[in-house]
Amino acid sequence: MSFAALLSEYATRPNIWDEMCLKGEVRDHYKVFFETLSQISPAELAKKDELAKKLFMSQGITFTVYSDGEGIEKIFPFDIIPRIITATEWTHIERGIKQRIKALNIFLRDIYHDQFIIKDGVIPASLIHSCPNFLREMVGVDVPFDIYTHISGIDLIRDSDGSFYVLEDNLRTPSGVSYMLENRSMTYRIFPGLLPKSNVRSVKDYPDLLLKNLLSLSNRQKSEPTVVLLTPGIFNSAYFEHTTLARLMGIELVEGRDLVVDNAKVYMKTTAGLKQVDVIYRRVDDEFIDPLIFNPNSILGVSGLYYAYRKGNVAIVNAPGNGVADDKAVYLFVPQMIKYYLNEEPILKTVPTYAMENKEHFQHVFSNINKMVIKKTNESGGYGMLMGHAVTEKEVSEYRKEVEKNPRHFIAQPIISLSSVPCFINNKIQPRHVDLRPFALNGPQGIEIVPGGLTRVALREGSLVVNSSQGGGSKDTWILG
Amino acid sequence: MLSRVADAVFWMARYMERTDNILRALRTNYIASQDEIQNFDWQLWVEGLGPEGYVSKTNPTYREALHHLLLNRENNTSLLVNVARARENARSVQDYITKEVWQCINDYYHLIRDPHTEQLLLANDPVTAFDNLLRESTLFYGTVDITMNRGEGYSFLNIGKYIERLLRSLDILELKIKELESGGSEVTQWKYLLYSLSGYEFHTKYYRTVLSTENVIHQVILNMQFPHSALYCLSQTNRYFKRLDVISVPENFKEMEFMLGRAVSNLRYGGHEQKNIEQVKSLVLRTKTEIKDLSQKLASLYFGYS
Repeated sequence: MSFAALLSEYATRPNIWDEMCLKGEVRDHYKVFFETLSQISPAELAKKDELAKKLFMSQGITFTVYSDGEGIEKIFPFDIIPRIITATEWTHIERGIKQRIKALNIFLRDIYHDQFIIKDGVIPASLIHSCPNFLREMVGVDVPFDIYTHISGIDLIRDSDGSFYVLEDNLRTPSGVSYMLENRSMTYRIFPGLLPKSNVRSVKDYPDLLLKNLLSLSNRQKSEPTVVLLTPGIFNSAYFEHTTLARLMGIELVEGRDLVVDNAKVYMKTTAGLKQVDVIYRRVDDEFIDPLIFNPNSILGVSGLYYAYRKGNVAIVNAPGNGVADDKAVYLFVPQMIKYYLNEEPILKTVPTYAMENKEHFQHVFSNINKMVIKKTNESGGYGMLMGHAVTEKEVSEYRKEVEKNPRHFIAQPIISLSSVPCFINNKIQPRHVDLRPFALNGPQGIEIVPGGLTRVALREGSLVVNSSQGGGSKDTWILG
Repeated sequence: MLSRVADAVFWMARYMERTDNILRALRTNYIASQDEIQNFDWQLWVEGLGPEGYVSKTNPTYREALHHLLLNRENNTSLLVNVARARENARSVQDYITKEVWQCINDYYHLIRDPHTEQLLLANDPVTAFDNLLRESTLFYGTVDITMNRGEGYSFLNIGKYIERLLRSLDILELKIKELESGGSEVTQWKYLLYSLSGYEFHTKYYRTVLSTENVIHQVILNMQFPHSALYCLSQTNRYFKRLDVISVPENFKEMEFMLGRAVSNLRYGGHEQKNIEQVKSLVLRTKTEIKDLSQKLASLYFGYS
């Protein structure tokens, strides 16, 4: 298909920032890719799409849905057309995220120690103490190097004028980084030669940077500290990611049953007896890590782990209790945190957020409900949301009752119409909405961000929900050098 | 290494070996049933390869038997279930085994579940299905050989492999003895026993005489050049176990070493006294019991993590 024909077929929508096109013209940074694309017939693209699916299946980059014993293998949908970000845009994003992580990390240290930010009246005490993820058990606990947010995934979106907004901070156990890596290795299979030609920055350093940080957290004077990755096990939908990361870093992948605590030290059970563990990169939620302190029914964690952690005998990554900083109601105070702790203006914008506890906000939101989205403060994965532009009155009134029962647990934001990018769907190039999740690593030597991230895409036409649990897929993300 | 990982690697190898051995045996006997052996007793095989004490309600046709033994999801011992288990074990140690080994088992799993495989078995040429599956199996051995590191895990993998191969050789021997007892020509049955164990050509070259019971039993039990003989498998188990010396808790190692040494001696010196089929049967039974005890001991000393 010719360049012009392909372009005319690509129908962008008004008032939406399209990453590839501006007023019917292809943006400069998409030109190389678009040239290549226009030389490939739709039939050939369909073959490439098929190849990608086969590769995912045969490499076992799948998650299993267990129905009756033998599971059904599913792959996370992958769109073959990469999303491209310029070097200038990336510099801006990188600076903004570093600033944000820095402030959030100080906030966590502060909130679990002196709470100056409350005493100075910047954040109301009630907001923190009503947050279910504020862990009283963490108060007064000193963590290695004062780092809480070792690994974070910051979700960014672009408004109609192209400016980046932070939609959400994920500071607990953000996932998706293995897809950043795997999607890239798909791209060189699907479009040979294109990556070097386009000067795309590599994402391969991620496991090395992460390992370096993990090793530096060990408390023991030892040349080779034992670092492990704690997974909930093969039934977890992110299990593939856990094995990939463990493999790439060459560390042991353990389950709760592989660990035992003795005399406030953590050991793993090996064929040669017990071996002490120094650092745990856990992919198990706070609530499940230690049945003696948290959920007593959990079998995913290790009894006594938290005690060993408080004694400083083992490092846990990310620190427990981070949930208080990525709570959606605390989110609205992040710009104030940046000013308060760093005396800087926020580089990245935040979406205007209405706390539903506030009566005026409540009224405002429900009288403009068709422009609003209401979210639960502690849900993720796109669950428990109300998108005001696509619901019936009955749904609104039912949701309103829910909100009235417990307003602290809800916030509202104006619907931001995420930017769109080209996708290959039904043998056609069509625009779909995306967000971007870069992964930031915070270690004793500072904050590092691998040039890339996970671009999540809402595959349904017009949909703004990119979560994989709600019909979202992903794309390779190119940061140009 | 983690005890759980050692356990999973051991069982991954056992399930893969089991699948390979049974596939080869079934392929051979299916061909025999189409050509040389009239009225092949599939019921005997369905029962012999099923769980202990399994009784088949009907006498199945060859296609029913093949489907039951290979693809029946309800049959706990079918090859499909075996491969699924090998894969579950591999999946739980995906970070330990190489990516190549994992992909190999994963591809095998997708192939055995492919409707095309079922169609070949039920309506087309089953030998093609056997060959496709065996190719995956062979790929697995090669991939393990050229990609896996020779550390501890490799020892557990091989211990699993040889224990399983030994048990399967003895099982197939027992099945053939049963077939003989219900009639049929000795030479034909022994020939297919050797074919099932990929050992017929070797037999003709090594023994250079007409097939005799004595030589066949010697080959299957004692011949150290034959990779499916019981003694060869046990010696290999012993060899790979000895490599664990450096990492083992000393008293655990000694206990296992003693048991293995005794088993090797019992087989090596007991194996020479086989004068008739009854004696062979009791030797097989004794060896199997010994191996099962060994396997349990290994689990409690090295995999005891719960």
